[in-house]
Order: sequence, then structure tokens, then C-alpha cells
Amino acid sequence: MITCPSCMRAQAPALVCAGCGAPLGANLDLFAAMNLPRRLTIDAAAMERAYHDLSRRIHPDRFAAAPAAVRDASMRATALLTRAYRSLRDPISRGRYWLELHGRKLGENNQQVPAELAAMVFETQERLEELRDSRTPENLAAARTRQTEAARVLADAKAELARNFAAWDGAGEDADEERRKARFTNLKAILSKIAYLTTLERDIFRELETARAA
Amino acid sequence: MDRIFGIDLGTTNSLIAVMENGEPRVLADLETGRTLLPSVVAIAPDGGVAVGDAAIALETEAQRSSVVIRSVKRYMGLGGGELGAEERRRYQFADLSGPVVRFKVGDRVHTPPQISAEILRALKRRAEAAFGGERVERAVVTVPAYFNDAQRQATKDAGRLAGLEVVRLVNEPTAASLAYGLNQLTDGYVAVYDFGGGTFDISILNIKGGVFEVIATNGDTHLGGDDLDQAIVAEVLAGLPEEARPDRELWSRARTAAEAAKQRLTVAESAEIRLATGAGVIERTLSRADFERLAAPIVERTIECCRRALADAQLAPAAIDAVVLVGGSTRSPIVRRRVAEVFGREPFCTIDPDEVVALGAAVQGGVLTGARSDLLLLDVAPLSLGIETMGGLMERLIHRNSAIPTSVTGGFTTAVDNQTHVDVHVLQGEREMARDCRSLARFKLGPIEPGPAGIPRIEVTFLIDANGILNVTARDQRTGREHSVDVKPSYGLSDEEIERMLEESIDLGEQDLEERLLIAARNDADQILAALAKQLGEYGDLVDAGERRRMAEAAERLETARSGTDRELIARLVEELNEASTPFAHRIMDRAIGEALKRKSVDEFS
Repeated sequence: MITCPSCMRAQAPALVCAGCGAPLGANLDLFAAMNLPRRLTIDAAAMERAYHDLSRRIHPDRFAAAPAAVRDASMRATALLTRAYRSLRDPISRGRYWLELHGRKLGENNQQVPAELAAMVFETQERLEELRDSRTPENLAAARTRQTEAARVLADAKAELARNFAAWDGAGEDADEERRKARFTNLKAILSKIAYLTTLERDIFRELETARAA
Repeated sequence: MDRIFGIDLGTTNSLIAVMENGEPRVLADLETGRTLLPSVVAIAPDGGVAVGDAAIALETEAQRSSVVIRSVKRYMGLGGGELGAEERRRYQFADLSGPVVRFKVGDRVHTPPQISAEILRALKRRAEAAFGGERVERAVVTVPAYFNDAQRQATKDAGRLAGLEVVRLVNEPTAASLAYGLNQLTDGYVAVYDFGGGTFDISILNIKGGVFEVIATNGDTHLGGDDLDQAIVAEVLAGLPEEARPDRELWSRARTAAEAAKQRLTVAESAEIRLATGAGVIERTLSRADFERLAAPIVERTIECCRRALADAQLAPAAIDAVVLVGGSTRSPIVRRRVAEVFGREPFCTIDPDEVVALGAAVQGGVLTGARSDLLLLDVAPLSLGIETMGGLMERLIHRNSAIPTSVTGGFTTAVDNQTHVDVHVLQGEREMARDCRSLARFKLGPIEPGPAGIPRIEVTFLIDANGILNVTARDQRTGREHSVDVKPSYGLSDEEIERMLEESIDLGEQDLEERLLIAARNDADQILAALAKQLGEYGDLVDAGERRRMAEAAERLETARSGTDRELIARLVEELNEASTPFAHRIMDRAIGEALKRKSVDEFS
């Protein structure tokens, strides 16, 4: 139980006091902070509305004249809310948080090329190499083709992520342990792939910018 | 709640505004009728001060003994060693090795917050005159969105030295969006392009139903109209022979002439510059094309910032529904043209670009008093915040453009057996290496109970508050004990220095203020005493006898002091009781939260 610093009512952890509506500096998981069920498919517009609505109720600007304990609770509650909104709004960071929430943090080590991407990555590096050596219109066009290709594969990976999210939401928390494990493995693989492709896209972009500037 | 004024503490001009009947209004000087107060301060060797036009008048006096300081904002939050050649050349400084720039005037030294405080005092007097002597005590003060922690802190310090409670620091472009948002903007994505006298900011906002959510901001705190003037000066003085190299006096006149020419060129096609030098009179006609050739590289730097902000916001220029121009430098046609080209639409400039920031600050004052509770600002931290890790790397904890307030908690531990302290170096910036980022502060965690390396766990919370300023708290995870964290800022004034400056500047008019502060301190005391009594009643099982006794003793000391008139003692004892009861408060908060959940939310980075 936690105590509201405004009306002193004891209650279950929440962002807003059930008694007086004042902010509570509770420690909550990010779904609970946004007052959302633990589901991975989220309606972006509804989440933005919820964020704005909660912000209106707990932001420090609303409590400029309140006692120190209330201002402190307001600041902590808002810090949690903003973190929740920013983390859950973007599907990729939402997926990462899902792993973290279940004690399966994605390693920072994404250097290894996912097997299915190997051929594509190899070809892209070749084309970029050629572009660096000689900035001919042909090489430029070839690099641009690789850029389009990388964007397409990234879009596919994001669609795959959405399917993984749907699988989680369809199964619920109490599904078969083996299938649950498989979903985690799949989620990790997709996120690694996306991380790798994002870096690759950035590399291509940089090379093209350098070529353009020269 | 009393009025909260809005102050734009600008590089070139400063203004004060206030809400009346739900609308913001800029306050004019009662004698001159002018709303702009030139941010110019003249300081005499005996410490006497003149501000605004009076200071400018002294600048042209042949036999002046005063030092006339312009653009002091450029020096806010800088260490002596950080001054560029240009800044160094303008004035005399005492000791450039310290964490604060010190201007030298005769035998005395003056820091940027003290000089800015003179501008704030002049605005405060203006507002007091406008309201028939009513006391002006609380204000929202604006800062460039791209100001770092030290620059923000220096601005707050200036407010304190001027006898103002700075209720909130608001980013200038965000303030401008509030002024426009009152009745000129519809919901959607808005870009605020703010090119002032000394700083440039670009902010991208999502405005929806009275909520002003900043998505991304970028900028340069040393890029402004000053740079345009300097480019003209360099061009005009380029032909001078080596022996007639400009001294401070010639340079100052050249700058004034350049500024005037720049202003004429906003409407005229050409402008004459005439300047008497030791090597004869320079006469030069500057066409608008000449000026635009000089201005182009500077304007391009602002465009580069716009591109970065759009990239961070993940928006294409075409997605922006409206572009707003703020700051005097946006009067130049080249600026308007380039902004229109980049965003593919004509920018808005229906509100005076010199007044719009102060108007917005006043609106935010109205939000804070509750007069405009229909509006809410959600701003971001402009720069990433992190710590130095092994190998001199910068480990990012809070990313740039995170919505504020925001916090991150991390675990620290010891590297060798029986280590009693852990040193933490906090950095701000976007580079990979610690040495390329700006040092924000250092602190020491401890004392830590001796033990094997890696066993102690200290949880440190870095919180960026709604002003964009860092607060650090730490606690031992095993004992649950709060550690005191003595954060030593790398730049800026220490609390003791500010106290001393305050004592020196206090005058009789502040006696009444003293009384108010006493009342405020007593209110704080009453609040914490009542809250503690209530909590002890409900959660008495969470404290042991020793802790209960310590809290009771602290409470008794506070009760006694409360009936006296020593407000500093009351404040100190409130703090003491607060500290004594913090672990108890945390235990109340944490009671029902499972340990497992807590462990998951702890981000390990040490």
C-alpha cells in the first residue's frame, strides 16, 4: 500500500490518488503507469489521449503552490508517465520493454549479422565500397537500389514485429510454456534484425550523403 | 495565488509581461513608453549600476570610467576557460581559470548572474511601478531551449540575486508557441524557429486540445544576430592596415554601425556605413546582396539545426502544419526566405517577434497560478545526460529530447575490496567520449560499508526537473538508507557565493520580504509536522524505537524554532526532519510493491 501525500489515504500503487485525484509517486510498471492492459498492440491515438489526459492531472505545473511532498510526488509521477509514454509509443522500444518486463533483456551485442540478412548485407557493403572508390552515376544508382532494398526488408521486419505482438495478445499470459518460449525467441530475433537493419540504413544514408556532398 | 510575471531575459533586449483577464500583456516603461529594455549594463568602478538606455548613453561618453556590458547572456554558465577569442576581446576579465567568468571593473569583479540580476531588477521595478507599488516576487523566466544545465542554473541564480523567485524556467520557443497557441494556431505540428540576438533554437511541437507537447528541439547557444553583426564588422574592417588594428573602442563603434546597417537592410536595398578609424574614415555601401552573402553561412547553420530537429521528431518538413518566427533576427528577408524554402510554407509572424517570448512566459505564469488551467506545456531535455564510465566513455542515461520531468535509476557498486567511496562524473552532450562532452558535475557516493568488491549496491536516481535542471539522490539498496549526495557543479556559482552576494546586495526594502519568508517557513514547518503525525499514526509499525525517537526529537526542535522568528533555523530544521523521516516515507511508499517488480525496473549500468 502507498499513502497519498495530499489526503493521506492509503491505497494500492497508482499514478493518481483514488481519493483526491492528486499525483502519487508510486513505482509501477510502464503499462500500469499508462493505465493500459499488458497488451502489445496499442492504438497510438488512444495512448496519446491518455498521456495528455494524465499529464493534465499530475504535471508539476498543476502543483506549483502545493506542499513539497505533493510537488515531489507530482514530479516523480510525471517522470514515470513520460518514460512510460515514450517507451511504449514506439513499437521497437515497446518490444524491448516487453523482454525486460519478463526478465529477458535484449543484449546490446547486435554485431553479428542475422543469418537471413547475410547475403543482403554482403551485397550492400560491396556496393558502398564501390561507391567510396568511385562516385560514378552507376555506383550511385546501385547504392540507391540497396537503400530501397534495405528499407523494404526493414518494413517487412516491422510487419513481422506486429505479427509477433498479435500472437502475444492472442495467447494471453497463461499460454503453453513451449509456445511462450518460442514467442520470446522470435521477438528477440526480430528486434535484433531491426536493430541491425536500422544501423545498415544509417550507414547507407551516410555514404550517400558523403557522395552527395563531394 | 498572486500574479506570476513572465520575463524574457534576452541577449539584446529584455521584457516583462503579465496575464490580465486571461490575456498576456507586455509592460512598458512608465516614462518612455518602451517595452524593450536593452540588455545593457554599465558598471562604475565604485559598483554603481545603470541599465538599459542609461547604460547605452554611458557607452558613447568619451571619458567614461564605467564598463558597459552587452550580451551578458553569452557568458552565462560558462567557465573562464571556455570563452572564445571574440568574447575574450570584448571586456577585461579577472582570472579566467575558474568555474565562472568574472568581469573586471576597477578593483571589483562581477559575475554574469550578478549582471543579469541588474537587468531583472530593472524589469521588476518597472512592473512594480506599473502595478502601483505592488510587490513583484515571482516570475517565469525564459531560456534558450538549447541552454545546458549550467546556463539554466546561472539564470536561476540571477533571479535569486534579483530577489525573484523563479517559479519556472521555460524554453523560449515553447513560450512563443504558447503565445501563438492562445488564439492563432489550430491543433497540429508546429515548428518554432527562434533566431535571437545571441542564440538560435528550433522546437517542434505537437499541439492538441490545449496540450503543447514538444517533440524535439535543437539549436546553438552561441549563434545569433550578434554573429551577423560580426560578419559585417569583419568585412568592413578587413582593409585596415596592421598598425590600425581595431581596439575595443573602435570595435564597439563598428559593431553599432554594423547592427544599424543590418536593420536598414531588412527594408532597404542598400545601407551606408561610415566609420572613423586611426587610418582614416572608412566609407562603405553594403547592398542587400552583400549582406546576404555574409549571412548565408550563418543562416545555413540554423537550417542544419532544423534538419536535425526534424530527424529527431521523425517528421518530414511537409508534415509541419505551421511555422512560427521568433526573435529579432527573423526580420532579415534572407532568414524568412530560407525558412519558407525548407518547410515549404510561409512562416507566421503575426505577433511582434521581440515580444512573443515574454508574452508566452506570462501565459505560463497564468498556467502556474491556475488562471489558465486549460493549457499545459510538456517540454523536453535538449541534451543527453550521462556518466563517465571506464575508458573515458560517455554512457548515456537520459537521451536528448526526453520529455521532462524524467528520471532514471541505476545501480552503482565498488570496483575493489573495501572501497569506501565511488566517484561519479556527470556529463551532458551527444559525443561518445567523455572528454568531448561538457562536464556537468561530480559527486562522491559514500561512505560505503567496507566489503568485497561488487557487493555494495547504491541506487542513484538522476532526475531532470520541469526546469531542465538535474537533481541527484542516492540510497543504499541493502540498508535502504539515503546517502547524502554532495553534487559539485563543474561550472557556476556555489550556494555560499550566492548567499554572500545576496547579503551584499540586500537593502531596506527587503525587510518586508524577510517577514513573508518567515511566514512561508512556518507554513512549511506546519505541513511537515502534520504529515508526520498522521503517518506515524497509520504506519507506526514501519519504524523502530530508535528511528521514532530521532524523528520525535527533530520534530520537537522544529516546534520550538517555529514559535521563534529565525526563518533560516526553521528552514534548516524542516530539512533535518525531512531527512530523518525520508526512509520512513519511502518504506510507506514501497510497502506493497513486490521486490521482484523493483528488481526489474532497475537498469544496471555499473
